[in-house]
Amino acid sequence: MNIEEKGVNPDFQFEAPLAPKRTRLQEFWLVFRQNRLAILGLFIFILFFCCAIVGLFMTSGPDPLFDPAMIRLQEKLRPPLAKPNLDSLRREEIPSLGFYLMGTDDLGRDVFARMLQGAWVSLTVGFVAVGISVLIGIFMGGIAGYFGQHHIRVDHILLTLLLISGTSLVMAHSIRFGAVLLCLTLAYIFYSFSTKNRSREKTFPSWAKVFRKNAVSVDTLIMRIVDIMLCFPSFFLILTVVALLPASIYNIMIVIGLTSWMGTTRFVRAEFLSLREQDFVAAVKTLGAGNFRIIFRHMMPNAIAPVLVSATIGIATAILTEAGLSFLGFGVPPPHATWGNILSDGKNFIFDAPWLTFIPGIAILIVVLSFNLFGEGLRDVLNPKLRERH
Amino acid sequence: MISFIGRSVIQKIITLFFVSIVSFLIIHIAPGKPSQVDPMNPKFTPEVVERFRKEFHLDKPLHVQYLYFYKNLFTGETVSWKDNQSVLKKIWERFLNSLPLFIVGTIITWTLSFPIGIRSAIFRGQFYDRSATFLSYLLISIPGFFFAYVLIIFVVNQFHVPVIGMETFGIGDGASLPHIFMDRIWHLLLPSVLGATGGIAVLSRYVRSQMLEVEGQDYIRTARAKGLPPEQVHYKHALRNALLPFVTMFGLILPGLIGGSVIIESIFSWPGMGRMAYEAILARDYPIILTVNFVSAVLVLAGTFISDLLYLIVDPRIRL
Repeated sequence: MNIEEKGVNPDFQFEAPLAPKRTRLQEFWLVFRQNRLAILGLFIFILFFCCAIVGLFMTSGPDPLFDPAMIRLQEKLRPPLAKPNLDSLRREEIPSLGFYLMGTDDLGRDVFARMLQGAWVSLTVGFVAVGISVLIGIFMGGIAGYFGQHHIRVDHILLTLLLISGTSLVMAHSIRFGAVLLCLTLAYIFYSFSTKNRSREKTFPSWAKVFRKNAVSVDTLIMRIVDIMLCFPSFFLILTVVALLPASIYNIMIVIGLTSWMGTTRFVRAEFLSLREQDFVAAVKTLGAGNFRIIFRHMMPNAIAPVLVSATIGIATAILTEAGLSFLGFGVPPPHATWGNILSDGKNFIFDAPWLTFIPGIAILIVVLSFNLFGEGLRDVLNPKLRERH
Repeated sequence: MISFIGRSVIQKIITLFFVSIVSFLIIHIAPGKPSQVDPMNPKFTPEVVERFRKEFHLDKPLHVQYLYFYKNLFTGETVSWKDNQSVLKKIWERFLNSLPLFIVGTIITWTLSFPIGIRSAIFRGQFYDRSATFLSYLLISIPGFFFAYVLIIFVVNQFHVPVIGMETFGIGDGASLPHIFMDRIWHLLLPSVLGATGGIAVLSRYVRSQMLEVEGQDYIRTARAKGLPPEQVHYKHALRNALLPFVTMFGLILPGLIGGSVIIESIFSWPGMGRMAYEAILARDYPIILTVNFVSAVLVLAGTFISDLLYLIVDPRIRL
């Protein structure tokens, strides 16, 4: 039956949207807005972000507005909001605000300036560490989920072992033997690439076929690596590696990132395993799209929700871990302030100067709490099953 | 069943082998050598360093060192580089110190989080549930070391009792038995409460979500429609079914035995496992670091194995 023929409603069009027109983002915001704790978390997170960036500009440079390293021994352990004793200070030693907003520590350094400097450390550690772990997690999980059924041959494993042992021998200063190993391996790789298109079965004698057998599937291999990584007690492992490496903030970020990707890998793999069987992926494949396009354009947007949630909560965990490491005296070298080492320095004056413990402690608590609340809010929004229940 | 046990034991042994290789490589490839820990010490002459290296096979190539180390570990001959004592004996002593912390902490966690979780599932969306939810986020987010100092300030100011260490220094002579007992209890209380906070928060949330899952089932509606009293519905019909996943968690608390908490134990000067591991890291005492790592990997694997087995036994729906 034709509508125009009947003339019921000439304005009616099938293309016109029947439901109220909302973009995905608006829909998302409508649900998210109902969770008041998550809104609070988001607000604090934005505030913290601004503080950290402003703090970076105000405390660095040759002549900073707030100097976190300025030592005033005559003004030590002043409580918050105390006025400086103007007679005993030189002009450049007077704090920019005219008073000590958060007091001073045992060397008379302005705690407010040190907190501002430490905010940037917490922020970057959280984001970079989680960025590393999410990248590794998506990569490993994507391979395990999408190419999982492919098999690795025995000669691939042998080649990898040769490459690794060759590299470590070169690094362990027995250069000649290592270089020979490396050259052999590279030559074999080059050879097998160059003969890829010819019929290879005839060129190999029967004993060499052992090397071309399928050993393990990619999925098994990656999941076993995840199992191995999960066997290490994580804080102890991080502590060991950080203690052995030279002290630097970048080492901490990398180490935290490298030891926390297992959860993301499992999420992405599980999502990919179920997505791979769905019709839209089959449709895209039939249209002739490449693996790369299928993975990143079609599957990843559907698999990203649990990763986002675990990344948000991972940032909170990374900030806590960094604070714990600074508290134990590892990580950022001393003159640079972090929230963990302000608290660690202040613990000796816990009864005389409690603000040295409470200010950084509460700051860490609020920031970590905001990330956790925001992450849980995201989980509610992105998971339609949970949404209906509330 | 038998084939499942056999397969998973073999798999776990292979995993353990790779864990041992990876941890050995991490420790030995990292920069810095144990023989250079104290270069300023005048007693550390090159001859001593040479003898030290020979004694602990540090002059051999890496794979030989690896074989030596794990041969010694399995025959129980591994000695600490710092004081030449048997590593296993040292770990056992420290383990006995950590054990009370672990037991009290676990008891606190499990006895508190179940009532809290069940109650907030029953009163879902009400004031109790919302405040319990917020409180558990607070407990997850609070840095352990900060919470430790808050509690120390509170307890010392309010009750005037010493809390640092395992017992008050020099209390052994002349004090009565109940006095010593109470002293030990006070010293035990704070670190174990701190060890339990994270566990309470996570476990009570988990109990809540499990209870909610079960409360939405049809048989609960049937039980209500029959006119059963709400207590019986909640505690007999719902709770028993919600308990199933928690049986497996008994296996998963096993790794907590050795993990301990480095930070909590060093704040309270508690001579436990975590603190020993921390001191070993500072002194580059590789045998202790590697042994602690190995034992904790064994515990993790044993824990997952036990929890798989328990699940098999408890849940008849699972057949492998």
